[in-house]
Amino acid sequence: MIHLKNVSKSFMTGKKESIEVLHSIDLQIKEGELVILRGASGSGKSTILSLIAALAKPTSGDVIIDEKNIAKISDDFAALYRGENIGFIFQKYNLLHNLSVEQNIMLPLIPMNLPLELVQQKIQNVMEMFHIEHKKETLCAKLSGGEQQRVAIARATVNDPKIILADEPTANLDKKLSLHFIEMLKELKSLHKTIVVATHDPLFFGLDFVDKEIIIDDGNIQI
Amino acid sequence: MSAKINFYLLEFALGALARQRSKTVFISVVLSLLIALLSSFFFIANSIKHELLQTLDTLPEITLQKLQGGKHTNIETSAIDSILLIHGVEDANARVWGYYYFGQAQSTFVLIGLDPFEEHYTKTMQQVVQKYDFMQESRQLVVGQGVKDILKSYYYTEEFNFIKPDGGIVTLPLSGVFNSEIELESNDMMVVSKESAREIFAIADDMATDIVIQVANPQEVATVASKLQLLFPDARVITKEAIQISYKNIIDYKSGVFLTLFIVSLFTFFMIIYDKLSGLSSEEKREVGILKALGWKVELILKEKFYEAFIISCISYILGVGIALFYVYILQAPLLRSVFEGYSKLRSSFELPFVLDLQTLSLIFFLSVPIYVAATIVPAWRAAIQDADEVIR
Repeated sequence: MIHLKNVSKSFMTGKKESIEVLHSIDLQIKEGELVILRGASGSGKSTILSLIAALAKPTSGDVIIDEKNIAKISDDFAALYRGENIGFIFQKYNLLHNLSVEQNIMLPLIPMNLPLELVQQKIQNVMEMFHIEHKKETLCAKLSGGEQQRVAIARATVNDPKIILADEPTANLDKKLSLHFIEMLKELKSLHKTIVVATHDPLFFGLDFVDKEIIIDDGNIQI
Repeated sequence: MSAKINFYLLEFALGALARQRSKTVFISVVLSLLIALLSSFFFIANSIKHELLQTLDTLPEITLQKLQGGKHTNIETSAIDSILLIHGVEDANARVWGYYYFGQAQSTFVLIGLDPFEEHYTKTMQQVVQKYDFMQESRQLVVGQGVKDILKSYYYTEEFNFIKPDGGIVTLPLSGVFNSEIELESNDMMVVSKESAREIFAIADDMATDIVIQVANPQEVATVASKLQLLFPDARVITKEAIQISYKNIIDYKSGVFLTLFIVSLFTFFMIIYDKLSGLSSEEKREVGILKALGWKVELILKEKFYEAFIISCISYILGVGIALFYVYILQAPLLRSVFEGYSKLRSSFELPFVLDLQTLSLIFFLSVPIYVAATIVPAWRAAIQDADEVIR
């Protein structure tokens, strides 16, 4: 399902200087697996998520998703690929605060230009699934942290993606809400989604429904 | 992407405008005022051009003026005999006319002396001659509506006293008011008999202000004009076409100067928008990044920005043109019209005729809407092609 083959990634830090954040890593994740990427801040976890989401391109190596190499696809194909395959839960949720809950959840569906009934049905389904339908008209700026998290998850799943990526999803949450998020992950896994979570939150470690925990250290995968 | 219209995107764009209400209102107001200013200049220029060109249509094909020391002076009426011998000349008439300065009102009127037996080349003069008696001995004064209004404000309702160059007075009864379709032609005009005009301006019986010549075949005007110039080397031969071109040039020049100034101010405005308001604020960059991460193509993001810019600029265009129509044709363009008229102190005022053509409206549209749309799209495009990776950090 997901295969990172000999992937390196460098970022330019100046006009001529660059820093390599991933060093020739190999990573395989099967369909329906829930994988935790563990590691300290700056270890390269978020970069791996960006590569899987085609938000960034590797400096070298291949990123193969469903037997297709997305390492060198154009921006437009990358957008199309994300729209059809990826649900992303950002570290700070990255909701548009001046939009309502419903409008935020609708954002990934706009490029698809689906019939109105179908759009409404999809939004209603995820709002019910993540218990946020009572806030559908509320601006996201007025939501609590937990509610924002639920909106972010609803938005990430509304287009029924095969892969869900979550970047430090509990970084801004208290323990109770973090545990609630973990419950929601379990629910998503039961829907046969492939889930990759980048986190250094110990609450995610040693969970029985997690298929794999991968430790990332300074751009390398620890065996 | 589907070829059908994405109404969700349109709704999102409208929502974005509503969410950034103060920014939307600010840009709309400034853009509307700029478009209103631009439209006003075009409307005023068009109206004056229309009025002047219609006035010029009433001019004779050729006018012969005598010059002395480079200045216009009276011409001998005997010249007509030589003119009529030129092949192609249909008719030639001596005109007695001039500008009469009415000191009390600081207004200048055009005073024309009419001879009912002469051929009159303007429709208005033909009507005046038919309606009123302008026999040599007849002493009467017929005026345009603008003159009547000015005279009335100085209590000249029954008669008017002309002051002759020697200080003497010529009193003529106010016999009537005439109108023509062309306000510039009739508004500041006084018509008297030729005899009275000679008396008022102290022009001798064998002299005239100028001589107007009608040519049977319009294609021969240039040839006749060159023959006249050879026959009267001390005279100025003016063709209708030359006057039309010179008036057009003056108005086009003034419009051009204004247009240059306008474009400079418009670009200043767009530079401010480019720098401060459009697409490049950190919040908007973040929004563009989020949309990309959620599967929006660059093309879709730009389309959304296009909708926003197009809606704002079209609303501003409609508002701006509406304001300009009200300002120019209802309020009669206070302040701005004098830029084009230039001689408003010399002539009595006239109503700007309503002239609205698709060409002007299109020109205003293409000078405003696409420029604003481009000024908004370019920074949005710059934000959209940046790596969206940063937003998940």
